[in-house]
Formats: sequence, C-alpha cells, structure tokens
Amino acid sequence: MGTNYVIYLALSALLFAFTAKAEIVNTNVERTLDLTSQLVKATTKISAEDSAGKPIAEYVFFTSEPSLAYISVKDNADRNVQIKTNEPVKGEQSFTFTFPKASAKQTFVVETVASKSILPHPEEIKQNDKQFVKYAGNLHLYSKYKTNSQKTNVKLSSSNILSHTQVKPFSVSSNKITLGPYENAEAFSQEALVIHYENSSPFVTVNYLERTLEISHWGNIAVQESIQMTHTGAKLKGSFSRYDFQKEGRSGLAALKSYKTYLPASASGVYYRDTNGNISTSNMNSVRDFIELELRPRFPLFGGWKTQYTLGYNVPSYEYMFSDGNKYQLKMNLIDHIYDNMAIDEATIKIILPEGSSDIKLSTPYSISRLPNELVHTYLDTTGRPVISFSKSNLVESHISDFTLYYSFSKISMLQEPLLVSGFIYIIFLATIVFLRLDFSITSHAHKE
Amino acid sequence: MNRTPKMLNSKVAGYSSLITFAILLIAWLAGFSSRLFAVIRFESIIHEFDPWFNYRATAYMVQNGWYNFLNWFDERAWYPLGRIVGGTVYPGLMITSGGIHWLLHVLNIPVHIRDICVFLAPVFSGLTSISTYLLTKELWSAGAGLFAASFIAIVPGYISRSVAGSYDNEGIAIFALQFTYFLWVRSVKTGSVFWSAAAALSYFYMVSAWGGYVFIINLIPLHVFVLLIMGRYSPRLLTSYSTFYILGLLFSMQIPFVGFQPIRTSEHMAALGVFVLLMAVATLRHLQSVLSRHEFRKLFIVGGLLVGVGVFVAVVVLTMLGVVAPWSGRFYSLWDTGYAKIHIPIIASVSEHQPTTWFSFFFDLHILVCAFPVGVWYCIKQINDERVFVVLYAISAVYFAGVMVRLMLTLTPVVCMLAGVAFSGLLDVFLQEDSSKRMGTAINTATEVDEAEDSIEKKTLYDKAGKLKHRTKHDAQQDTGISSNLKSIVILAVLMLLMMFAVHCTWVTSNAYSSPSIVLAFHNSQDGSRNILDDFREAYYWLSQNTADDARVMSWWDYGYQIAGMANRTTLVDNNTWNNSHIALVGKAMSSTEEKSYEIMTSLDVDYVLVIFGGVIGYSGDDINKFLWMVRIAEGEHPKDIKESDYFTDRGEFRVDAEGAPALLNCLMYKLSYYRFGELKLDYRGPSGYDRTRNAVIGNKDFDLTYLEEAYTTEHWLVRIYRVKKPHEFNRPSLKTKERTIPPANFISRKNSKRRKGYIRNRPVVVKGKRTLK
Repeated sequence: MGTNYVIYLALSALLFAFTAKAEIVNTNVERTLDLTSQLVKATTKISAEDSAGKPIAEYVFFTSEPSLAYISVKDNADRNVQIKTNEPVKGEQSFTFTFPKASAKQTFVVETVASKSILPHPEEIKQNDKQFVKYAGNLHLYSKYKTNSQKTNVKLSSSNILSHTQVKPFSVSSNKITLGPYENAEAFSQEALVIHYENSSPFVTVNYLERTLEISHWGNIAVQESIQMTHTGAKLKGSFSRYDFQKEGRSGLAALKSYKTYLPASASGVYYRDTNGNISTSNMNSVRDFIELELRPRFPLFGGWKTQYTLGYNVPSYEYMFSDGNKYQLKMNLIDHIYDNMAIDEATIKIILPEGSSDIKLSTPYSISRLPNELVHTYLDTTGRPVISFSKSNLVESHISDFTLYYSFSKISMLQEPLLVSGFIYIIFLATIVFLRLDFSITSHAHKE
Repeated sequence: MNRTPKMLNSKVAGYSSLITFAILLIAWLAGFSSRLFAVIRFESIIHEFDPWFNYRATAYMVQNGWYNFLNWFDERAWYPLGRIVGGTVYPGLMITSGGIHWLLHVLNIPVHIRDICVFLAPVFSGLTSISTYLLTKELWSAGAGLFAASFIAIVPGYISRSVAGSYDNEGIAIFALQFTYFLWVRSVKTGSVFWSAAAALSYFYMVSAWGGYVFIINLIPLHVFVLLIMGRYSPRLLTSYSTFYILGLLFSMQIPFVGFQPIRTSEHMAALGVFVLLMAVATLRHLQSVLSRHEFRKLFIVGGLLVGVGVFVAVVVLTMLGVVAPWSGRFYSLWDTGYAKIHIPIIASVSEHQPTTWFSFFFDLHILVCAFPVGVWYCIKQINDERVFVVLYAISAVYFAGVMVRLMLTLTPVVCMLAGVAFSGLLDVFLQEDSSKRMGTAINTATEVDEAEDSIEKKTLYDKAGKLKHRTKHDAQQDTGISSNLKSIVILAVLMLLMMFAVHCTWVTSNAYSSPSIVLAFHNSQDGSRNILDDFREAYYWLSQNTADDARVMSWWDYGYQIAGMANRTTLVDNNTWNNSHIALVGKAMSSTEEKSYEIMTSLDVDYVLVIFGGVIGYSGDDINKFLWMVRIAEGEHPKDIKESDYFTDRGEFRVDAEGAPALLNCLMYKLSYYRFGELKLDYRGPSGYDRTRNAVIGNKDFDLTYLEEAYTTEHWLVRIYRVKKPHEFNRPSLKTKERTIPPANFISRKNSKRRKGYIRNRPVVVKGKRTLK
C-alpha cells in the first residue's frame, strides 16, 4: 500500500502541476457503514466544490473495497448520475461520475454494496460459540481529492464489540460507532479501520445460481433456479450435537435454519427439491403483492456446510410479455430474491425462447458477459428452441432489476405443435388399419378348419 | 340363411373385440392408477432399498452407455473390494428403462430417468394383465381371460411388488413370466417353431430380468415330463420343447450374470434331463414305427436301462467333479425351510425370506384364494395339454409361496388365472338368459361366435377338444334349468364378492404397500394434521453435501444401496449380500467395544459410521432391533470374539435397560445409538433417556466417545452419523499415574567396574586346522 501511496502522490502531484487551478475539494463527507449483515452497505454523501469556482461535470470516485458488488449515485435532486467504470489501476477500482448538470457545487450520494469484506474471526468456532467477525476498511474516504471534513457512522449487528479502531474523536453507543469528524485529510489518505464484533446473522453465500426462464407462447413462463449455497461464516469446529441444538437456545446462533424467499404474486406450481426429491420442509404464504416462501434446507447450515436445491414456479406470461404484431418484448427480473442480504458469487441466466424465434436482442440494466447461444430440444420440438444465456458474478440484492429481451416470433408457428400431435395420431391409426389388413404369414392356412 | 349369420358374426365379433379392448384398457388404467398412491401421497420417488441400486445402475447406464455399464466396476461399494456390477446384475430392468429413456429422448421428450424408473412397474402391470389375458384365453376362454386380466391388475399380491417407485426386477419379470408361459402354451398347442422361438425370446428377456427365470426353466420341463408320463407325447411337443430348450439355453447364456450356469448347475439340470428324455421317447416312437414289436420291446428295456443308468452316473460324476455345481443356498432353502436359519443367517435375516403365514394368503389374494381351487378343479376335470401346464404351475407356485413370503409373487398370476376360470365357469352357468326359451338359438349363436372369434384371433388353432367338451357340458347343465330367481341371487352374490374384492385390494394397496419407506408420514392424533418424517433423506443429503467425495461410510448392509444412491458415498457392505465375511466384519465392528471396533474401522479406512436409531420417535425398524442379526452373522465368522449369548441377560432376554447384558451396553452400536440420549427428556414428566421403541430407560446413560465424534444427527434422531477420528485427533484413554511406571523386575545387573565386558559361557574356541571342541 505504501508504494501505491507514493506513486499516487507522485501522480496526483503531476496532475496538480498541470491543472493546478481546477481542483476539486470534498468539503463535507458523511459515510454510513451498515455492517449488520454479511454485506458492507456504505452510503456516502459527498459535497464537492471546485476551488477555482469552475463547474464540476465529472468526479472520479475510488473505492477501497476489494469486492465491490454494486454502486449507484444520485445527486441532490435524486437524479441518477451516470457511472463509467474505469480500468482498474494496480487493482484499484475507480469510477467516473458524469453529472446531469454541471455546477460549481455538487452534492451527491454514493451507495455501494460490497461482499466478502467482513470475515469471521476466529475462523472456526464450536457449535455453542458466538460468531465474531472482523471488518477491515478505511477510516477515511478513499478519494482522489482533498477532504475538508468527514464523519463515519457505523451500524453493527450487536452491542458486543470486542475492539475497534480508536482515533479520536469517536463515540460508541450500543451498536453504533461514530468516528470523526476528521478534518483536512489529504488525497488518497488511508488509515485502517478495524472493528471486531459479534455478528450472529448467517453468512450465507450463493456460490452458483442458474436461473432458467422458459417462455411459452401458450401463456406460461416457467422459472427454475438451481442454487448452490455455502455458509461462509465461522466454520464449525468439532462435532455437531443434535441434543445441544435442540435444547439450548444459544447453540448454533449463526447457523442458517430457514430463510424467506419472495416470489412474484402470480407464481403458481412452486416446487422446492434437490437430487433426492422434494424437500418437505417449506411453507408458502401469500402476501398481497408477493408470495413469501419460507424455505428450510434439509439440515441446518453450519459454518462451512453446503447445500444445493432447485426452486421452480410458473408465472403467467401476460405480466411480463408485450407484443406488437410479430414483435415481442420480455421484461423480467434478471435475478430474483433468494434471501435477505444475499450475496451471489456467480450467476448464469438462461432464457429459452419458443421454437422459431428470431431477431433476438438483449438489453440489461448492468453489464453482463454474454455466453454463446444454444439450442435446446424439448417437448414436440423439431428444430430446437434458441437459448440466450449470460452470466454475471458478484451480485447482491440491489441487482434485482429488469432485463428486456426483444425478439420476433410468427404466431402461425404456434400451430406447429398441435398439428404435429394430430398428424402423429393420424399416422398411428392409419398404420394400424393397414397393418391389420396385411397378412404376413409365410404359409397358407389350408390345414386350418 | 348363409349370409345372415355371417353378418351377425362379424358384428358380434366387432363388439366382442371392442369389449375386450375396452376391458383390457380399463384394467390397465385401473392397475396403473391404483399403484399411484405413493406418488400422490408423497412424490415421484424411488422406494425402499433394492430399487435404489437399480435406479443408480440405470442412471449410470443412461449416462455412460451400455458397454461401459457392462464393464462397470463399482469402487463405491464393498470397500475395499469393489463390485463388478456389469457381471453381477440382471440387466433387463436397466435395459428396459434405459431403452424407454432413449426412445423418449429421441422424440425430444425430456423425461428424467427417475420418473421412468418410478412409473415403469405400473406401466408393466398393464402389460402383465394383457399377457395374463392371452394366457388364460389359451387355457380356457376369452371371458376367463378378461376376468384374470382384471384380477391381476389390482390384486395386492402383485401390487406389493409393483407400486410406482418400487423399481425392482419383479416389476417387469412377472410380465415376462406370463408372456413366456403364454407363448409356451401356444407353441405346445400349435407345435409351431415360430411360437416356441418366440417363447425362447421371451424367456431370454425373463432371464435378463430376474433370477426367478429358474422357475420357468423347471416348470416347462416338468410340464413336458408330466405330459410324457400321461402318454400325451406328440410331435408338436417334440418340436416346441426342443426348439425352446435349445434356443432358450443359448439365449440365457448370453447374460453375463448367468453365464455357464445353465449347463453347470443343478437348478438347470432338470431341463436338460427332460430334453434327453424327450429325445429318447421320440427316438423310440420312431423305432416303434420301424421295428417289429418283439425287437422293439427288447430294445426298449435294454436301452432304457442303459440310458437311465448312464444319465444318473453322468450327473453324479459331474457333480462330484465340480463341473455341475450343487444347489445354491438360496435355492436349497426352498426345499428345507430350516436350512437357511442354521447355515445362512444372512438369508434368514431378511423378512421377505420368511415362510408365509396363512393370513397373508388371504391378505394378498382375498376372494381369489377361495375361487382358485375351483379353477384347478375345472382344469383337472377337463384336462388337455395346456391345462396340465396350468395345474402344475398352480401346484408348484402354491408350494413356493408357502415357503417364502417373497414368492407369493409367482403364485399370484396363476391364482388370478384360475380364479378367472372359476368365475367365468360360474357365470357361464348362471348368466345364460332365458335359456329354456331360446336355448337352441343361443347355443347356436354362441358356437358361431366362438368360431368367428377363433377364425379371427386364433388362426393356427389346432385343438378344439377342450372347447367342444366345455360346450357340451353347458348344454347338459342348461337342460336342467335353473330358476331365474336363483340366477339373479347367485349373480348378485358374485358381484358383491367381486366388489368386496376390489374394495379390499384398494384398501390393502393404500395401507400396506404404498409407503416409500424412506419418507415416513404419521398423523397427528391431536389436530389430525399429517406430518412427514424426512430424516433419511436429510441424513443422506447431508452426507452428500458435507463429506469428502471419497469418504467411506460404514453402516449395516440394509442401508448400503440407499447411501450409494442418495448420498453417493462409498459403502462397505450393501444389500447385494455377496460377501458374508465382509458383512460379518462390519457386524463385528458394531458389536465390539469402541476400542476394538476402532481397530477394525481403521483397518477398513472407515471415515463415517451411520446408524439408524428409532428411540426418539418409536420407529421399530432401527439398528438396535436388528442388532441380534449383526451379532449372529458376526459370530458365524468370528466365533472366538463374538458370542450371541453375551448379549443376552442371564434370563435370556435382550434388553437395553440397566439390566441388559454388559457386552450389549458397551458395544459400539449401543453407544452410537444412545450417545447423549441419556440427557434427553422426551416429555416433562417422563425420565430422561426413555427409549420409545423398546419402552425402557436405557441402561448406560453417561458415556463419552473416545474414537468417534457425532458428525450429524437428523431432526428426529432417526439417523445418526459419526465421524471416526484420525489417530492424532483423540486423546488415548489415559493411564493412571500409578500404572504408568514400569514395575521393577527381579534383576540385578552383574556388571560392575571389573567386569564390564559381557562374555558367553562355554563358548566354543575355534582353532585353525582343528575340529571344534565341545
């Protein structure tokens, strides 16, 4: 970090030398770090000003989180700010914000969500132990610009704090820590912020999600999600005791016993199974505008334990499909809710379109990596259905938003399947009629009667 | 006059084939749907134990292809021995469902292989009822055939082995059995090479599907033999049997698992003997037609004696030389029911190998078991070649069903057929309407209908003797005249009986035979809600997700197939009980103390131990209740280390409470079952550690495990999995400080400052060139 720091200082010094006058200064920064779950949700309110009074149109934002999953920026009028991802320099990720309106003073709110920044410490605990975690971050806003004043509020999951960085001024009240205000931090200033505290929320990561959407023009969309998940919190040390788990309330606090998945309100025919068949421990409640599914894995998920399952349901297609003649448009969630504060390492989305779809165009709310198209053959298919697939890594709840898929499909092709079935039955009858009238015997029946 | 009956005939024939078709279709549907209780109550899932292996093998075949399947060496079973699956399995079942899977996938129907396996047996039950119809029709009449088809579609004795999910050999084998018999009977009737070759092909399918093919290859020769004794030899018999035997022999030897058994084991020798006998009879018949009477008699006596002695000596010599193997144990236990109990405890320990109780005959067959002797009587009364067959079938099947519960299955089809004959005969008598008025015409029409049917469906019929007799008998009965009231009463009574039969079948199917046994359901008596106990799958899924891929799991052999199928982990022993000593070793590990069994477990590289424990919920089929079999089997191989009597109390009781035998209270199985159970209170008033299955407070409550640790226990404690610690992980049991010092021996060293060197007394001195001095 030290060398980086020097290089950056040198770089910025150069930069300053050339554009000495146009200097952006963060006049006030207010950060809120939400560390109650396994994710680091940071809300940073930045007031920036150009010292020369020039209007600011672009702002470069650095992040110190190593695995940033999501970022969004809104200006003070609650308008979305355009974000351009820069090439990472020496592993440091930066973004360039382009404001809708350039002005000398800009106030905007950056929301970031990072996974894998809170690590269990100790890494292994016994079944009856509490789970302690450690967060390591930056005490200051990691910024290219000078910061005049900044303050950080940290929200923790419990008031049981073992240790935290003590740079004055700071205050602690139950599960909240306030750090700062700190005055006049130089650009790219770094100081470690370490908090070691109890966090009993289950740290569950979805290692791999495969979401398949099968579109039928007969009015149904079949959704299937196969999920592999691991408890990435403190690993279970020693034996598991069912007796303790049943009798003692403090046993296995950080274990995942059940969780809630929200499905669209119109979902029907829900199934929850794995390779051994139906997982019989689930409950479904219909709330007004969504369906709440309480899922219990076959076994409680302790630290380091894994499980896999498949969840599927059907939704009517009129809610998600729009058409204009032969042109169709599909608008659906790219990923859906799995559990609160979820973290997905890798997701692959497959969209199976009806046979004969063409002119396929995909637009997504964020960048994805497109996989080659495939063909899949299922019931009554002849040429195969086109499959659009793409993948994305490091996803969180904020990524739940719609993609749009445009394609054309001629309505006459829908007749193909019924015709195929009736033709087949017709041929069977015809063959039977013909067969019964043929005589295959090689001898004459003279000896009979 | 000539045209009208013809038109009438074709019309009636049309109706009758429509009715036949409709009844068979309904029988198929009824049979299919009454087997779906388990799918509707639970889900589409493979049941019990053996089906899990079949499913796993099928899935392997679908994934890796047929040739890889034939060469499959399963290193996940019988660790460290492994199992050659391709050569030790009847592959017919896997081929059948694999073939269906292939066909559907060619047609772009992406059905999962599991669903094909689950629904295979119900689908084949329809084929069974059709082949039963065909067979009964050959034996008696189409009406009896329809009765038999409907009976077999729903009879519990067959359903018990063919509910949806019970993916086992028997599911398709009964179809193959009935179909082979049908083709055989037809070939005997026609004497056509075509039908007997077809019978051999069907026999080939049966051989590939089930070990019960031995039943066919003994019953058909028995049929031929009895026909010969009855003097019913005919060239037709010669043609059909010689074709069937030769082709069937060659076909059956194509199955890797069967291999050379058909010419080397005693089970198959009867068929060969009858073949030789038949040839001899045929030769004699031929000679009889050539030679004079006197010459023939001489030749007959001398030749017969010589051949008889020759065959006998040959069989004895070959058996003694070991070329022909004596009967296998399982087969032998069919004749001597006490044999297994004494010599092969592993066979006796399986509940389906127990002798059948009287109750279960009625339970499985209901009214049919009463109607069945009537059918036998009808067949004996009006005997002909093929009815000899069915009578023999009935007698032998009754015997076998009495010996083993499992063989109830082979009895069921013949009971259905003969009950069909009985009911059909009854209705023939009582359903003739207004016979007094239109008797003549009715009989005429009936005759013509029969003939029309014959001309359509039995083009190659040779022998109508039975039918004609049958008819004349009816004529005689109708002449006596039965009052219409009596008729309707009898018919109503029969219908009532049949209705009760249907009700009973459905009830039995629903209550006795439709539990997947890996998912248990119980009704809560308080609020009537249905609870599901899914502990088995919970544990197996835990194993599959959270243990190393090559982890070795030790459990009693009952659960081997399930562990392999659901958890995909290596097992030591499984339900293919081919290696008794390996099973005995596991039994020994389970019945020894923790310390001793740790030695066995480390020598077998065991990583996890799985036990089934029903004490919390009162599940009676758990490992403690099976424990005596483990001890018995272990004692059979290790009589010095394990003694069954050690596990009983002085009064000869097997009990787990404080009065139980110390060997039992300290053995591994006991400790693994009851680890920390002593602390558990099932309800507030009761004592802690109360075992609900055995209704006792356990005797050894406070103990710790040294060499193992609890890895997982399911929600209702039904399955408990322990991890075997590695040698560095546990503290060896500590020695008390007193015992640690080595006791001083009575030894005083003679070494002092003077004599530092040791020497050997009377050491021979070697001088060069001289002999050694003594």
